[in-house]
Amino acid sequence: MSKARRMAAEILKTIKLTKKFGGLTATNSIDFSIKEGARHSIIGPNGAGKSTFFKIIIGELRPSSGRVIFLNQDITGLPQTAISRLGIAVAYQIPSVFHQLTVFENVRVAAQSRKTTFNFWSRVRSHKEFIDQSFHVLESIGLSDLKDRKAANLSHGDRKRLEIGIALATQPKLLLLDEPTAGLSPTETRYIIELIKQISQDLTIILVEHKMKVVMEFSDTITVLYYGGILAQGTPDEIRNNEEVRRVYLGGVKV
Amino acid sequence: MINKASIKEAMGKGSSGGGDLQEPMRNQSIWQKLAVLVSGKSLFFIFAFFVIFPFIVPYKALATQIIIWGLFALGYNVCLGYAGMLSFGHAAFFGIGAYTTGIILIRLWGNLWFSLFSGFASALVLAFILGFLSIKRRGIYFGMLTLAFAQLVYFIGFQWVDLTGGDNGLRSIPAVPLSFFGFSIDIYSPLRFYFFVLIFVGLSLLMLNLLLESPFGHVLQAVRENDRRAKSCGYETSSVRWLAFIISGGISGLAGGLYALYLHFVGIESLYWTTSGQVVMMTLLGGMGTFIGPFIGAGVFLFLEDVLSRLTTNWMIFLGVIFVLCVLFFPTGIWGTIKDHAMRKEKG
Repeated sequence: MSKARRMAAEILKTIKLTKKFGGLTATNSIDFSIKEGARHSIIGPNGAGKSTFFKIIIGELRPSSGRVIFLNQDITGLPQTAISRLGIAVAYQIPSVFHQLTVFENVRVAAQSRKTTFNFWSRVRSHKEFIDQSFHVLESIGLSDLKDRKAANLSHGDRKRLEIGIALATQPKLLLLDEPTAGLSPTETRYIIELIKQISQDLTIILVEHKMKVVMEFSDTITVLYYGGILAQGTPDEIRNNEEVRRVYLGGVKV
Repeated sequence: MINKASIKEAMGKGSSGGGDLQEPMRNQSIWQKLAVLVSGKSLFFIFAFFVIFPFIVPYKALATQIIIWGLFALGYNVCLGYAGMLSFGHAAFFGIGAYTTGIILIRLWGNLWFSLFSGFASALVLAFILGFLSIKRRGIYFGMLTLAFAQLVYFIGFQWVDLTGGDNGLRSIPAVPLSFFGFSIDIYSPLRFYFFVLIFVGLSLLMLNLLLESPFGHVLQAVRENDRRAKSCGYETSSVRWLAFIISGGISGLAGGLYALYLHFVGIESLYWTTSGQVVMMTLLGGMGTFIGPFIGAGVFLFLEDVLSRLTTNWMIFLGVIFVLCVLFFPTGIWGTIKDHAMRKEKG
């Protein structure tokens, strides 16, 4: 019962969200909403506006018009820092980690972000809560063994995991995953899928992904973007059987 | 967030090994021990070296000069090495620290502690203002802004002859004794003055060591490594950089104040851009972003200057060539290269 009520609450909503780059309309009047605990995927051909949509939500880009509502609060145009502090985290498609820090330090610096910034009188080693939390995150992304390695020396696959680890360590309410399996081998892809499936339902996830198998397996709802607008939205089965989606995106491939 | 079993496992690990990450020395090879030593954070080693340092250089005044410039470079390194901001304007902080200390001693109160503190505080305030004006820009724009503002400060110093002595510099700073709980000690023998400076260098090293190991120190390095990621972790990256700039400016001002006491004189060139250039060179030479590198850079620079300037009046040419070669072949600086080498050995 309580779960059902929680599921019903809306965590993120966009109203007529539009972003224009000069003459190009990257996202065109998108009305989108996602409920708490959902596993929502956004698919669409290259240039459909998926990345732009993400960047607007996390505050890297300001929309030309329209609004973004997060937990009943208008966050349109807030700085990226403020949006992150409200509880939206992102794992970028191209891993964006702290190269000269170790894996452990990468996660810890993200973990401490909620509690302290300008604390320069205590030792970071004395903050047990950050350390415990970081070990916990490292465990869940499977990088405990590499904790003392510099992020610069990680393989692409491990860096993708670390990218997700950094996002998780900030303890978000909403997690945006931008192609978490891009450029990974089948084994590594499998690992990432298992990893994100294990993430608790308290965390809402929006996934952008090209691998249809991953999308179909992972999501409860799928939104198809096409030329900046929403082409279709529905459950994996509905999307699979949608004629228009198959024509423009799935290319007639049976999935 | 994740399943409970993994939490428990992680917690177990956290409490056994995580409480103190500087794991005990057992099971470490000789190379690992060396790596810890040369990681430059072994403060005891550094202090011990500084105590014998004046006895191993040709003359004691050179040792004093080296640790004063080393302190300046240490402060500068907070900005360049740890915050990743290439400032060309640190002469302003060094200079204002020197002038404030000197002017207070001449006109206001012959107290060394107070005058040095004023020099430090004036640099903090100036860094607060210049930081606010420059920090929004990154990279080369930041460098140009700091250069422009520092030149502005230079021209004010140059024109305000009544206060600064203008082109002639600030002359005859009195050699007041050091008062200490009612005692007063004359500190102007070369060796005594060295140890007097060493007090401040030691305190700065301690403070900076604490700072770099603090949560803020790690945020600072995260901001340097990846501003975008730091922002999306929720850090106010411009405030972080601003604070680093202020701390960096304050230490530079303290070094300036000590330099004024050392020379009993402040030249107008202390505010000039060449001073900024010199501290950049020292920091790069020693190894930016390493804890002790700036001191090594200052030491090598001033030692070479001392030796070469006795041989030829064109010593700058040779120093320049050495600097270029260092940047080409040892881009991480002298200490950075040693450190990398030790790290590689450690990994085997």
